[in-house]
Amino acid sequence: MGEAIVITSGKGGVGKTTTTANLGTALALQGKKVCLIDTDIGLRNLDVVLGLENRIIYDLVDVIEGRCKVHQALVKDKRFDDKLFLLPAAQTTDKNAINPEQMKELVTELKRDYDYVVIDCPAGIEQGYKNAVAGADRAIVVTTPEISAVRDADRIIGLLEQEDIAPPKLIINRIRQHLMKSGDALDVNEITTHLSIDLLGIIMDDENVITSSNKGEPVVMDPTNRAALGYRNIARRILGESVPLMSLEQERKGMFSKLKSIFAK
Amino acid sequence: MTTKKQLVYIKGTKDGLVLRLDDQCAYAELVEELKRKVSDEGIDGQAEVLLQLGNRYCSEEQTKELIASVHTSPHLRVSRVQSDVISVEESNRRILERQSETYVGIVRSGQVVRAEGDLVVVGDVNPNGKVIAGGNIFVLGRLKGIAHAGSNGNKEAVIAASWLEATHLMIHEALEIMTDELTILSEQPEMECAYLHANGFIAIDRLQDLRLLRPQLSTFKGGS
Repeated sequence: MGEAIVITSGKGGVGKTTTTANLGTALALQGKKVCLIDTDIGLRNLDVVLGLENRIIYDLVDVIEGRCKVHQALVKDKRFDDKLFLLPAAQTTDKNAINPEQMKELVTELKRDYDYVVIDCPAGIEQGYKNAVAGADRAIVVTTPEISAVRDADRIIGLLEQEDIAPPKLIINRIRQHLMKSGDALDVNEITTHLSIDLLGIIMDDENVITSSNKGEPVVMDPTNRAALGYRNIARRILGESVPLMSLEQERKGMFSKLKSIFAK
Repeated sequence: MTTKKQLVYIKGTKDGLVLRLDDQCAYAELVEELKRKVSDEGIDGQAEVLLQLGNRYCSEEQTKELIASVHTSPHLRVSRVQSDVISVEESNRRILERQSETYVGIVRSGQVVRAEGDLVVVGDVNPNGKVIAGGNIFVLGRLKGIAHAGSNGNKEAVIAASWLEATHLMIHEALEIMTDELTILSEQPEMECAYLHANGFIAIDRLQDLRLLRPQLSTFKGGS
């Protein structure tokens, strides 16, 4: 019996879909069997980020309405042999096409065959959110170091606390070291004390996240990338390992600083 | 038939007249008697009257009627109405208002925590979170949201917090928006309390001053 994790944030554009794609991939890289569900019906894009767009035949609503079997709708990611699957959202209808009970039933069914079912939640706190949360055992809240995102995270944590699931965990996404160090952005400590939930991990802001999303390859596949390292650490924490939090210090060593450090010896 | 009992007694005190009304007779009889009495007596000048109802329960309309009956005399003015009884409903309301409720946890954005009496929050009140109480509000944590004390008309209610940086404070019907321009705000809003000043505005002071500002808040009966 696997575990269902919902990735949510309240606010849009903080990186729920990117986090879902990367976390799912990272868990698959760790050898776990993972199924990703896109619940953003009408505005799907998890398939695009994973590069699986043109392999979709059936979708979530087809499964719910009984037009196909679950395994027919699942899209296999061939890069990870039989480890990573995606259940894409429908694009032609809206979020009211399914209800929380149906979602719960579906997730329970998938949990039997997969180690992890990762659910990508749409922005907002309406029907789509309720559907996404319905089947989850635990929740991960994604926020960025912006007051608006933190406010919405606070709201969503309040709603999650009323659900019958484990206390939510926090991911702070898109951290820019120089802004945080100069005090121009909220720092990690400030955000965690304000929201007072456990911090699961931090992700550095990195341009490669965007370029790799556009290519349909989750950034986590590049082991040298800093954002990828953040996602890999989070995946290991989900699996129960204790991994120290990444330091905010940038180890960027240019030619000049390398020379300087040689002469400093 | 026994000799007719006197239904309205008039007594003079140093604070003015006291009209004690019989609490056993029929209400209609009483009103009639009262009207007769206030017009019969040779009262001159102006007098303040205290109306004592004894063990009679009067509804709001009845009380008004009694006051109106006294006011048929041009010399009398009712200053106060005193009754020894209250309805169960009223009594329950008063008990609730004196009770203290405790909320343990964080009041997050979009959540509203409401109490009839005092409210103690053990945890923070985050921005856009709201706490409303008929009585006082005490926050053991950071109050960063909205707080409304004395929502049932209690002007003596206070809002106290370990860290008072609310966005809005309300006491009874007075509202204060805690903008940066406000001079009463301190740099370090640690251990502060807000109360309704006599001038009708909300004032903020150190928590230590609460003992002097609202001495009736303390219900501690033991020796010191």
